[in-house]
Amino acid sequence: MINNPIIFYIASFLIIMSTFGVLFSKNVIYSLLSAIVVFFTGAIFFYILGSEYNAIIQAAVYGLAVPIIIGVSIMFTSLKKDTYQEKMIHYILIIASGIFILAFVYLLMMSMAMNPNTFNIREITQVNFFDVMSAFAKGIFINYVWAFELISLLLTIVIVGITVIKRRGV
Amino acid sequence: MDITMYHYLFIGLVLFLMGIIGTMLVKSVVKVLILIEIMLLGVNINFVTFSTFCDGIKFDGYILSLFYIAIGAVELAVALYIFYLMYKKKQSDNIEKYNEL
Amino acid sequence: MQNLILDNITLTILIPLWIFLIIMAGRFFSVYVNQGVTNILTLLSSLFGFVVSLIVYKNIGYPLDWSITFIRINDFVIDFGIRVDRLSVILLAILFFISFCVQLYSVSYMKEKTKNYRFFALLNLFNFAMSFLILSPNLFQFYVFWELVGVVSYLLIGFDYEKQEKSNASRRVFLVNRIGDVALISAIIFSSYFMYNYAGNKTFVSLSFEDFNAISVILSAYTSQIIFISICVLFLLAAMVKSAQFPFHTWLQDAMEAELPVSALLHSATMVIAGVYLLTRLVPIFDMNGDIYRAIILIGIITAIMCSIMAILEKHPKKILAYSTSANLGLMFMALGLGNIKAVVILLIAHALMKSSLFLLLPHGENKTFSYTEFYCFCISGLSLCGLILLGFSAKEYSYILINNIWLKYLYTFASILGAFYITKLAISLYGNAEKGRKIKPLELISVLFIIGTSILLYFKIKGWQYSLGAPFYCSICGIVFILILEKLNLLSKIGNCPKIIENINNVQIVKLYEGITNLACNIERVIYSLNIIPKKILLCGVVAFNWIEVNILNRFIKLVAECTKMLSKLDMKMQTKNIQTYNAYAFIFITLILALIIIAYKLILGQVS
Repeated sequence: MINNPIIFYIASFLIIMSTFGVLFSKNVIYSLLSAIVVFFTGAIFFYILGSEYNAIIQAAVYGLAVPIIIGVSIMFTSLKKDTYQEKMIHYILIIASGIFILAFVYLLMMSMAMNPNTFNIREITQVNFFDVMSAFAKGIFINYVWAFELISLLLTIVIVGITVIKRRGV
Repeated sequence: MDITMYHYLFIGLVLFLMGIIGTMLVKSVVKVLILIEIMLLGVNINFVTFSTFCDGIKFDGYILSLFYIAIGAVELAVALYIFYLMYKKKQSDNIEKYNEL
Repeated sequence: MQNLILDNITLTILIPLWIFLIIMAGRFFSVYVNQGVTNILTLLSSLFGFVVSLIVYKNIGYPLDWSITFIRINDFVIDFGIRVDRLSVILLAILFFISFCVQLYSVSYMKEKTKNYRFFALLNLFNFAMSFLILSPNLFQFYVFWELVGVVSYLLIGFDYEKQEKSNASRRVFLVNRIGDVALISAIIFSSYFMYNYAGNKTFVSLSFEDFNAISVILSAYTSQIIFISICVLFLLAAMVKSAQFPFHTWLQDAMEAELPVSALLHSATMVIAGVYLLTRLVPIFDMNGDIYRAIILIGIITAIMCSIMAILEKHPKKILAYSTSANLGLMFMALGLGNIKAVVILLIAHALMKSSLFLLLPHGENKTFSYTEFYCFCISGLSLCGLILLGFSAKEYSYILINNIWLKYLYTFASILGAFYITKLAISLYGNAEKGRKIKPLELISVLFIIGTSILLYFKIKGWQYSLGAPFYCSICGIVFILILEKLNLLSKIGNCPKIIENINNVQIVKLYEGITNLACNIERVIYSLNIIPKKILLCGVVAFNWIEVNILNRFIKLVAECTKMLSKLDMKMQTKNIQTYNAYAFIFITLILALIIIAYKLILGQVS
């Protein structure tokens, strides 16, 4: 992995800012564009964490394929602006999310304070590319072969299901 | 200043929370779908972080995040198709109008 | 050749399962909705099975086995596979042939019904279950498919599940069959347990039919008399329930709610013969103790006579045929008790063919017209069933020859008189005052003609005329003449009102017996009370005390719970806003609260520990 603070902070800034962009832009197209930035930055995160394969998959699926189908569906539906109203529940939500963050941070701190070796952090942060690839191969084809088959089945079912719904003409 | 595991975990947490708050606040269905994907991204970053820092041999987290990406793509495809059908009925993408099946 | 036979047989019995899956999956995904494809696939699978089993029957010499390990727990191994020998191939051929004819019939019969694709799918599943039952190499697999046959018959009888009566009847059938299932599994577990503990060879635990002789020797050697007899009785009970013998014959009447083709299939070659087949497979065990054979003979002859009398007193044509099935199976039991497997097989084939053709010839609904073709077919099948012509004649005479007891001979001839009597009565009630004019549909006629033609062919194949004319033949003629005289004298209608005593025994007492058993099992409290184990005063005090507790504590508690639930549901009603995002928010808030609670609990526990 690449242990460089500058890259990390730039990437973090970019990802959080573009998430805000997704949230607050008025037009759906702009939020889609910001989402592409988010997904690519996620791929950068995977890369600096040492998983090149995940980064490539993330960039290919979320950077290209997902925005294309979302964009196609936006084009099909030709969205117009609607007037949206705010509600009381939002304040409760913000409080709840604050509690959530606090709880999570507290849990982390406590686990660190209790026993420094709880997470068993490795000293060596350098990961060999070929190790990762062989681990992938072992994982997909030996350890998690059933999960892998299940995912393939799921994809097939989605294709068949959408074809069937289309044929029935709902 | 060194970058530790907790920095990455915090980024994952922030993405997840922004996604979950956004799904509750935002009224456009397409935006909700995008935000769900961002939530999944946060979860994936958590997985990969733990796998990198705590497990140097098997890399289970990498593989699991790969599966998550696949499932997320599938779910998005189905959800967009349902959205398309609903839009033809309602002529609106406001989530408050999608209150019946 | 051996591999060829095994491969073909495996293929044959797996095809029905595939077609079942194809039909159901195809309907589920609406990939195709064509009725013709369903029919043709179903028919072809049965025809293929029939042809393959005929070829295998030609070529088979000694029994063939093929198996794989199904379950392995240390040294306890159960195999899954098939065992092909002459008996099973004969039954397989009959099964597939009758299935084919019945399916051909139901193509035209079920044409107008809705959801008939499910019917055909279930027929396929029935074929699959029954053929695996016939070919199973050990008792565990036998039990699995025994259950499957029960389940599929439940589904087929309750095919029109929207009608309350039919679904109730199918449930009753299923429940009565459970008695036999429980008996069978407990017998299997008993004997497997003894094999595991006492047999030197651990392969015996799977109770395969291949080494059943050794198993039965060990079983009788290492168990006491009582345990051995009780195992045999449990097996016998299972066979009795499945084959509808005397105390359990009521389920066949309930099964009459089914459609005609289902009855034809159920009563001939599938469901009911499973019991007889089980007994023929278990002959080595029964050889160890002669009393069991005497019990089988007794059960068989009692069933034959009782059910024949019931059939005479019954008015509904389908129910007459149901009683006749029980009676004929009783004759098979008797032949088996005499150790005469060949007679059992001939009786079984004759009964299967004739009974299915009789069922297929019954009029649909309340139809009072008939055609002459139908009438002639009915006459041929009926006369054959009561042992006057064709295969039925050979079967009846052959099983009569080997009876060695004079009383049993009398009873047997009496049963055959009664058989001729009720079949003729059925014919008179169906065609006596009906008018000509119904037009039988071509497919239905063809299927019936197939069955009758096959029975004639089989008659020539086994040289049926070699058996001399014996007492059952003349007695059956006497029965027919007798009933025709009664018909001329107009006395027949008076028989219909059946005496109170017999009706009581049939309908009231047996039902009461079942109810009593269930009550006894469910209501232990009442049993204790009736036995007076606990003195009455203590019981009274206890009752008063419990009453007080119930009124003052339990009832109030229940009221409190009810109030709380009411308030919660009112709150819940307010929370139902029909907005997706609100639900999402609720879920999020709940999860946050739970997380916070977990952390607090974690900290408290840690504080206690350190």
